[in-house]
Amino acid sequence: MELTYHQTLDVKGAKCPMPLVKSRKAITELPVGQVLRVIATDRGSVADFQGWVKAAKNVELVAQEVVQEGGQELYIHYLRRTA
Amino acid sequence: MTIAELQTQAPAVTASDLYDALLRNTAPFILDVRNPDDFARWRIEGRAGLMVQNIPYYDFIEDEEGATARVPADREVLVVCAKEGSSQYVAELLRARGIDARYLEGGILSWGHFYDTRDIVSASWGRIVQVARPARGDVSFIVISDGAAAVIDPLRHLAPYLEAIAARGARLTHIFDTHVHADHISGGPELNRETGAPYYVHPYDAIHPIDMLPATIAYTPLNDGQTYRVGQVDLRMIWYPGHTLGQVNILAIAPDGSRYLFTGDGIFLRSFGRPDLGGRGEEWTPLLYESMTRRLPPHLNDATLILPSHFSTLDEADKAGRVAAPWGVVRQTNTSLSHLKSAEAFRSFVLGNLPEFPPQYVEIKRVNIGLRTPSEAEAEELELGKNVCALAQ
Repeated sequence: MELTYHQTLDVKGAKCPMPLVKSRKAITELPVGQVLRVIATDRGSVADFQGWVKAAKNVELVAQEVVQEGGQELYIHYLRRTA
Repeated sequence: MTIAELQTQAPAVTASDLYDALLRNTAPFILDVRNPDDFARWRIEGRAGLMVQNIPYYDFIEDEEGATARVPADREVLVVCAKEGSSQYVAELLRARGIDARYLEGGILSWGHFYDTRDIVSASWGRIVQVARPARGDVSFIVISDGAAAVIDPLRHLAPYLEAIAARGARLTHIFDTHVHADHISGGPELNRETGAPYYVHPYDAIHPIDMLPATIAYTPLNDGQTYRVGQVDLRMIWYPGHTLGQVNILAIAPDGSRYLFTGDGIFLRSFGRPDLGGRGEEWTPLLYESMTRRLPPHLNDATLILPSHFSTLDEADKAGRVAAPWGVVRQTNTSLSHLKSAEAFRSFVLGNLPEFPPQYVEIKRVNIGLRTPSEAEAEELELGKNVCALAQ
């Protein structure tokens, strides 16, 4: 699957709650309809982003994927600003 | 924002502080800020009346005011998350709005790993040390007399036992499992490898009851009626099939005549061990009935202290943290024992009160006899949450 995104936020190494705090801020600065790609190393971010988008009024979780890079797992979230 | 403002001002509460407060029933309001799925899987439990609320930390990020309004402002609040970071974050937000918020150091992970060690019997002949892992409702024991130490039902992490034995100037001489456990990974085989002390288990439990495969760990078989000497104390093995085929109760008889019964997953203070975790509840229920009505009673008197390996609720512990009571009290307060009047009544009570069967319990039994070796992460996952070894109350 080829995923389209407009901006990337690198939160590698950041621990909970910072991946989500920074994503919230970045999404707010994004034009409505655009997609933010978030690259995290915190495994807990997978379930937390799923929960967050249910609570958030203007964020849609388009996709999540896990990729291996240099011996560590990267958790990648694609978030669209919807309003 | 200056650097100083970024640092956490909220006070930390350790797992040990939390446990003391839970025992005394003075614990603060607990605000668990993990996501609802994690909260549903396991949480901090205490005595009846403990207040626990789940508001995910991202609710505070989305709507700080709305989320804060759901938190009581008139009392101390302990914020808990998975590891620590989010609870510090939320505690800071709450403090800025005038709420007396603290955070649990190390998160719920540190609570899950917390062991409580305390002497619960001290006498001229020696002592009995209780080692509990409160988050799981798991309890184990060390009998120490004349410099010798026997461990009963040791849990997965060895340090609490090795430290407790060393601090009391003793040497580990015997390792017992009352049975091969389904709910947690035993520390017995590894204690045996680390110290060379023999690991005793009944041979019937050294076969996986569902796979029918034999144990690959090193163990020394124990038998019904056998007695081991630990300093001045005799430890007598009482075969008690039902929860498992090879479960024993271990009766400690001290030189002053006092008696202590380590029941494993036999009789608990408020319930008793379920007979279905080997996959044969129907067949094992009559064995359990025989154990409870015929095999065990000749060894009991009202003064015998009952020391089980689990509790289902912290209310089973007294204020001093002891999960123990004399048989004379247990036989009157453990209402599940009122169903022993006939085999038929017992059968319908037991089979009608079986809690869910956690699927990972089959795998944990494999681990405990050496058929599988989990990674640390897998072991954590297998042992997540509280034991479900007792019949429903």
